[in-house]
Amino acid sequence: MSIVKATGLVKRYDRTLAVGGLDLDVPEGEIFGLVGPNGAGKTTTLRILSTLLVPDAGDAEIAGASVRRNPNDVRRVLGFMPDSFGVYDDMKVWEYLDFFARCYGIPADRRRRMIGDLLDLVDLGPKRDNYVQGLSRGMQQRLCLAHTLVHDPQVLLLDEPASGLDPRARVELRELLRELRSLGKTILVSSHILPELEELCTSVAIIDRGQVLAQGRVAEIEQRLRVGAVFRARVLGHVDEQEAARAWFAAQPDVVTADLLDDGTIEIGFHGDDEGSARLLAQAVGAGLRITTFSRAASDLEELFLQVTAQDPVPADIAAGPPPAQTGWTIQ
Amino acid sequence: MDDPVTAVTGRPRRLGGLRDVFGGVSAISVKELRGRMRGKRAFVIITIHLLLVAGFAWMVETLMERTLTSGFGGTFSASADIGRALFVAMLILLTLIVLVLAPASTAGAISLEREKQTLDLLTTTPISSLAIVVGKLLSALSWILLLLLASIPVTALVFTFGGVGPDDMIKGYVVLLVTALFYGSVGLFVSALVKRTQAATVINLVVVIALTAGTGFIFIFWSTMTNNGFMPNGGRDTGFIDSLGKRPPEALLWFNPFIAQMDVICGTETGFGGSCAVISAITNNQAALGNGGFDNGFVQPRDSYWPRAAAAMIITSLVLIVISVQLVSPTRRWRIRRRRRAPVDAPAA
Repeated sequence: MSIVKATGLVKRYDRTLAVGGLDLDVPEGEIFGLVGPNGAGKTTTLRILSTLLVPDAGDAEIAGASVRRNPNDVRRVLGFMPDSFGVYDDMKVWEYLDFFARCYGIPADRRRRMIGDLLDLVDLGPKRDNYVQGLSRGMQQRLCLAHTLVHDPQVLLLDEPASGLDPRARVELRELLRELRSLGKTILVSSHILPELEELCTSVAIIDRGQVLAQGRVAEIEQRLRVGAVFRARVLGHVDEQEAARAWFAAQPDVVTADLLDDGTIEIGFHGDDEGSARLLAQAVGAGLRITTFSRAASDLEELFLQVTAQDPVPADIAAGPPPAQTGWTIQ
Repeated sequence: MDDPVTAVTGRPRRLGGLRDVFGGVSAISVKELRGRMRGKRAFVIITIHLLLVAGFAWMVETLMERTLTSGFGGTFSASADIGRALFVAMLILLTLIVLVLAPASTAGAISLEREKQTLDLLTTTPISSLAIVVGKLLSALSWILLLLLASIPVTALVFTFGGVGPDDMIKGYVVLLVTALFYGSVGLFVSALVKRTQAATVINLVVVIALTAGTGFIFIFWSTMTNNGFMPNGGRDTGFIDSLGKRPPEALLWFNPFIAQMDVICGTETGFGGSCAVISAITNNQAALGNGGFDNGFVQPRDSYWPRAAAAMIITSLVLIVISVQLVSPTRRWRIRRRRRAPVDAPAA
């Protein structure tokens, strides 16, 4: 069942079309990734869904409430964390959460317990009486995430939640989002750091130039598009041996390209599924190739993203022309 | 682990209409006042304020005492004269303080939220734009009210000298509060309109100068030109230009709190009151002066001007608040056409 559903969203800034007929369908309980390059329309889409922007055309519903007709109802069921957010000076960590809880009309007796539990959830319990501006970026990020939870929303919209975080903070954030999913939240998260989303998301939508090019589970999209993968293999031996190995790989079915790189690595363009890649490795070993490593060169999502965006399905005049009448398209 | 979120928070109450607004106003006010009253800052500001007010009152009292008791050995009404002079000085000083503090307290109310990127967090809560604007204004006004309340014991010293009644003091403080409301609303409006707090502060300063010194100067210039028979069109009827040949309207000075305070001061005068003459000239209320415009101390234009000025300031404040609400609302209906850039997705981390 869809908990976030956008139909034909259009948003224009002067003559620039930021979102051009975008459709989105986010099932309940998913961690849904919005993938796209800078300027693809991710932030505009999230700002429309969070009622910060009114779409020029189209509508979106969150838990059945329309962002156009019932923005206040939408605000009660979602928590929004913008890509760049600030913190109030002269405010302690508990006061920050207390303030937002007051904004949602949560009674005083519940506020105190809720603040303690939320701080524990985001691992900021010991920082309760610290000033917000004194927290590290990662801690502020977690505090901002906690503020989205004060009213127990069904949906979380997180715009680039990991930007500016160090690797450790990213891992912690990822764990936190998984935990929130286990608590029944649907999380819509945007990012252009694809490996990060790949590890985290259960489904994705690939957005470019204001339209959804593909959406669904990564494996499903991959299957629909018959997208290939790039593998890298290292073979023991001299250059002749490596060249022979390259020639062997190039002769195999489903191998599109096989190149010997300067560092002795063989890069293999492979057009097959996981079964096929396992078979290829087994056959290579069986053929006597002394393989030391055999791995994917890039993440699935990265390949998928490159493949989908390379197809360039968006009309060339979309950035300058009038809003398109169609309601966007998805690869089904 | 238990579900810490759902177990504790539960769904927020669905507040309706006015209750919703009150809840929002309370949330904003509490947050703002926490910030304003934290630490030593509030204590230091109130102390400096009181030292300034008390020191000024002492200097005025000493000055008047020396002036009135020198020469011919003073008059029988010297004490009342000192009381009135002290009252005038206090009203002018407090009006000045309010004129500086009220717009300064609200200049960053909205623009700082934009600069610090906290406005988005706020506007995605169910809190209404009205609650945000009113909450910000109320917290600024309550801070100014606190400073005014703290000054009451010093101002009340005038009662020990006489010449001023409690009703005069109440009227003076009402004008101060209305001035705080109006200039606070102006500051809030500018803050909602302009993106940068620095620009908002400068604009507020210009507005304060324009509405006080500026209107005063224009009024005097206009009056002088009219009294001297100066006609910019040489006597020909050319509509608007011709209207400049008439007296300047008193509405020109409605937003100048010093003039409103003059009317309050006029109420305390028994002799040849200079402030009464000024108010009479502004309101063109010669009949109220009696004796063909001569202020004889028996028939005075008391309380004829400041209620109108206060009403004008209150009504304009309400209009500014309504416009500010529209400017803050992310889904506002009235938009000033200006070029906007699309929000850009965050750069690579």
